[in-house]
Amino acid sequence: MRILVVDDDPTVLKSCQRVLEPEGFDVCLVSSADKALEAMRKDDFALLLIDVKMPTHDGIYLMREVRRQWPNKPMILMSGYDTTQTVEEAAEMGAATFVPKPFTPDELLQAIHTVMGRQEGHE
Amino acid sequence: MFYSTRSKLIASFLGVTLLVGAVSLLIGGQLLYKAVFSEATNRVRLDLNAAHEIYLNRIESIKTCLNITTLGFGFRSAVKEGDTRELFNRIRVLALNADLDFAGIVTAEGKTLCRLGPDSIHNNNSEPANPIGRLALEGPGSVAGTVILSKGMLVVEDPELADRASIQLVPTPRAAPRDEKVETSGMALAAAIPVFEEGKLIGAVYGGVLLNRSTNIVDTVRDTVFQQEIYKGRSIGTATIFQKDLRISTNVLTPDGKRAIGTRVSQEVKEYVLDRGELWTDRAFVVSDWYITAYEPIEDIFGARVGMLYVGVLEAKYADMRKKAFTILVLITIAGMTLAVGLGYVLADKIMSPVHRLIKASQQVSKGNLSPEIGPRSRDEIGVLQSTFEDMLVSLEERDRHRRAEAENRLLQSEKQASIGRLAAGVAHEINNPLTGVLTFTRILLRSQDIGEKNLSHLQKIAESTIRVKKIVKGLLDFSRQTELDREPTDINRLIHGVISAMENQALIKGVSMKFNSAENLPMLTLDRNQIQSVLINLIINALDAMGQGGTIAISTGISLSASDTGKKGVEIAVSDNGCGIPPEDLDKLFEPFFTTKEVGEGTGLGLAVSYGIVQRHGGTIRVQSEVGRGSTFTVWLPIEEQIEKDANSGS
Repeated sequence: MRILVVDDDPTVLKSCQRVLEPEGFDVCLVSSADKALEAMRKDDFALLLIDVKMPTHDGIYLMREVRRQWPNKPMILMSGYDTTQTVEEAAEMGAATFVPKPFTPDELLQAIHTVMGRQEGHE
Repeated sequence: MFYSTRSKLIASFLGVTLLVGAVSLLIGGQLLYKAVFSEATNRVRLDLNAAHEIYLNRIESIKTCLNITTLGFGFRSAVKEGDTRELFNRIRVLALNADLDFAGIVTAEGKTLCRLGPDSIHNNNSEPANPIGRLALEGPGSVAGTVILSKGMLVVEDPELADRASIQLVPTPRAAPRDEKVETSGMALAAAIPVFEEGKLIGAVYGGVLLNRSTNIVDTVRDTVFQQEIYKGRSIGTATIFQKDLRISTNVLTPDGKRAIGTRVSQEVKEYVLDRGELWTDRAFVVSDWYITAYEPIEDIFGARVGMLYVGVLEAKYADMRKKAFTILVLITIAGMTLAVGLGYVLADKIMSPVHRLIKASQQVSKGNLSPEIGPRSRDEIGVLQSTFEDMLVSLEERDRHRRAEAENRLLQSEKQASIGRLAAGVAHEINNPLTGVLTFTRILLRSQDIGEKNLSHLQKIAESTIRVKKIVKGLLDFSRQTELDREPTDINRLIHGVISAMENQALIKGVSMKFNSAENLPMLTLDRNQIQSVLINLIINALDAMGQGGTIAISTGISLSASDTGKKGVEIAVSDNGCGIPPEDLDKLFEPFFTTKEVGEGTGLGLAVSYGIVQRHGGTIRVQSEVGRGSTFTVWLPIEEQIEKDANSGS
């Protein structure tokens, strides 16, 4: 199962990789929204983990683009900015869930399992 | 203008002056007149005495002349011998000297020997002898006094006398009614002296004057007593001799300037003096004028009241004096009134000008000028008002300054808060990423099997500290977040019950009991339930932290007025503990972000700051009262009305 993680902070990318790979996920790490879209065109991912605040194009932009080009693609938003407004925007964009930073490995896995479980039930 | 203080003052001054003037006019005028009148009355009474003396003198002089005649040489022998010619001569001389109207000699038998008049020596003895002569024959000695002579007797003496005595009655107002039109009898002053020869009565000599139409006595009275005093062309003093109520001899004049012979006295005086025989002294209407008068009865030689003697002074002189006094009093009153108006005007000006200045000053104050011109300080109550006014201005200014400072402070505060918010958001974002790394790798390390016991405990410390950092950042974000309120109608008591049951477990662990004293009939409030709930939870947690085992948290609700915004009603929620209390120096900083009194790691220092923001966005307030060692009470006040309006302002 391939997961695309998008964050401008390498620490976060590394953390996600170290949490997800032992769990058997195939993790692809990119550092910007544009690189994520590029990766999306090449590969098929089961899930996207997206940071909200990034330089150039932010996570909201990326979500909009993914929603446009790949509808029904499950996405999880990560942010230290868990304002109601952001959450509402995320819900509107169809992001499955929201993980406030900083998160523990358990919180991250919990979120992913919730989304994937829903996805499986959906399909 | 009519109701102005000035007109009121003038009106009261005028009123007082008028009252005093009227009273002095009425009482003073009356007293003055009474004094003058009684003076005049006394004078008239004295004048009457003088007139009386003159009247008696006249009688006495007649008597004296008669006496002298009887003592003349050869007179008695002439009477004895009936030498009428000799006697007539003597009588003629007597009458001439004593100015007698009638005189005569009678024999002891009552026969007239001779008399004045045309039929002086006659032989007709059938004619009645003069009554006064006869009286002298009968009595023990001489007689003198007033006598009434009938027409017949007068004719016998002298027909001319009868003519003089006959007086036509003139109709007079106020007089007593009388039937006859003419008075034919006459009133005379007469005397008679008996003549003796060697102890034997041989006759009598008599003589007298007819008072009717005579001017002698009355004019003497006028000239000697009143000394011909003239007032406005008229004699002040008058005298009259009445035969009964008829003026027979007088110098009272009728309006056409003649002596008022034939007019009569008023009925009132007649009844008083003639009928009852008393002395009259009072004002009386005489012929055509008011006089201050005195009347006394005249008795004839038989003791019958046959007439009256009168003196009087014109009242006009005294009435004019009264009028003059009255006029002067009126003038004084008018002058007083003018003075009162002037004084009232000036006084009102003096009193009211500082008041007017104050009115102008307060008008300026209402327009926003807080340092208006008040004018010089008065030394009376107005001065007190002025200084109070100034004090008021000072405190107004102070309040103004205070409010401005408060507003500036609020602005500063909100700017500060906004910048803190921005800072917090930035910091949160930047910190959260590395924190994610720390959390992740600590957890991974903790799961690995090949670390020692010691390292494990170190790693656990790292994990805990990181969780603490996470909490702080979360609190910062909560504080900085300007969340919209999600309002819905809420039963505040039910909300509190919910909070209490959620916190019961924690309280139980700490050994603290919770009491809730809810007021009934509280109105529904439109609130963001979650946010208010978190405020209450925060307050209860703080209370729990402030107390040890066995403490009590008392929560109560009620309706109260706002402390800052007068007249606004709201619901009050008080959370009281009997814990350690808050030192006064900490009270000010209590709601500032990052201020905490708790142990490091216990609190973030953001709970009350966040609660404060939430309550403020609801249009309410949080107050705190605390005493070290006794406990603290936090009171949340939420407004009942105008929630929608406050909602609109909540973004600021």
